[in-house]
Amino acid sequence: MSARPPPPRAADLPALIRADSARLAAACTACGACVGACPMVPTLPSVATAAREDVAAGLRSVLRGEAQAASAESVAWIGACTRSGLCTPACPERLDTAFMMRLAGMRLRGALGASEPGGPPRLPAKDDPGWSARVKAFARMTLTEEEQARWL
Amino acid sequence: MAVTPPPPPGSAAAPERVVFWFGCNIARHGEIVRLSTRILEAVGVEADPAGGPSYCCGSPKEANARIAGGMARRTVEAFNATGRDTVVTWCPSCHMNMDDFMAPATEAAFATSHISEVLHARRDRIAPLLRHRVSVRRALPHLHHGFNGRVPVNTLVPDLLRLIPGLEVPEHPCRAPGHMCSALAGVPGALGAAQRALLAAAEETGADALVTVFHSCHRETVSLERGRPGLRVVNWIHLLAESMGIPHRDDYKAWRNAPDPREAVGPERLAAAGETAFERLVEPELRRPPPA
Repeated sequence: MSARPPPPRAADLPALIRADSARLAAACTACGACVGACPMVPTLPSVATAAREDVAAGLRSVLRGEAQAASAESVAWIGACTRSGLCTPACPERLDTAFMMRLAGMRLRGALGASEPGGPPRLPAKDDPGWSARVKAFARMTLTEEEQARWL
Repeated sequence: MAVTPPPPPGSAAAPERVVFWFGCNIARHGEIVRLSTRILEAVGVEADPAGGPSYCCGSPKEANARIAGGMARRTVEAFNATGRDTVVTWCPSCHMNMDDFMAPATEAAFATSHISEVLHARRDRIAPLLRHRVSVRRALPHLHHGFNGRVPVNTLVPDLLRLIPGLEVPEHPCRAPGHMCSALAGVPGALGAAQRALLAAAEETGADALVTVFHSCHRETVSLERGRPGLRVVNWIHLLAESMGIPHRDDYKAWRNAPDPREAVGPERLAAAGETAFERLVEPELRRPPPA
């Protein structure tokens, strides 16, 4: 079994997103190695033909709170992230690039609300309004009443 | 007179008590939760299952950090209140969210391990329990790139499957993008492409079974059985349970592949879901055609 996690480094999730975004953006050189390693790029013609450095610079802009400065290609790339994680071992600065992509995706979808300095959302939210009701409906079909009472 | 076999080495120790955090969307596959719990208990890990929207990691609401953070905090605090030292995860999204967003924002009084790590670390205990041959001969694991950098699930699960007597587990470089199939569903064409690559890998290796690791992969892959009588889709937990002699049934697969899912579900379970919920939330998914 793994060890307990270290103490929290932020008071809440919005503060964590802001702090980690700033920390990682400051260390990113926008070299584009992450873009080169991404298996989703071939599915995005406009990204595949763009300069990797420019696409990566857009990621850094979003994390800096300057989302409006990110190119359409950068936004498309961040929006197509499926969390393959191949960008992280590709980073010469040894940054957790997959985490950077996650942070950027959340910010582009409006996670910080009105306090987002980068302006309004540039990606649609992945909000499934039926998610909770669907999970509960399936649970009623596959779990006994006792299991539902004890486990859910 | 029944003879109790001698306990495997190390099993005399008091069982560990953990929370088994199974996530939310695995509610489609209640038998996987049940079987996982039994398998954990068989190797000396007493697991209390917890999941569903009440134990959400926050990811369904990630476009609103205030709401997602509140859901995550509620879950961490609920696990803290159990007094358990360890939370064993099933879902890779939940696991990564705990590492990346939940514990870094709320004090967590527990460690987190993925179920594949827990079982692999106890493979000396599970090996003697895998007594029975299974109904498939050559099982190709369906693997993704993602999550493997966090937990080496692409090694751990095949290692465990190779403990099953008589089962061949071929090596193949096929890896789907993403951390599980649900991540691909939002990118046009990506899921179909991944499934076509998986089917090609099955053909190249002569596999008669595709073995899913995660629930969303199982959900998306079971329909590949349609029109392919020589191919079965099973989850790795199903195979371990079958070899241990634990009976089970994959209802979701039966429903998804039935000519009429409503009839396959039957009146009792339809009533449990509720007619409106079934019609609006369940039936469209069960009737969805396979991506590949």
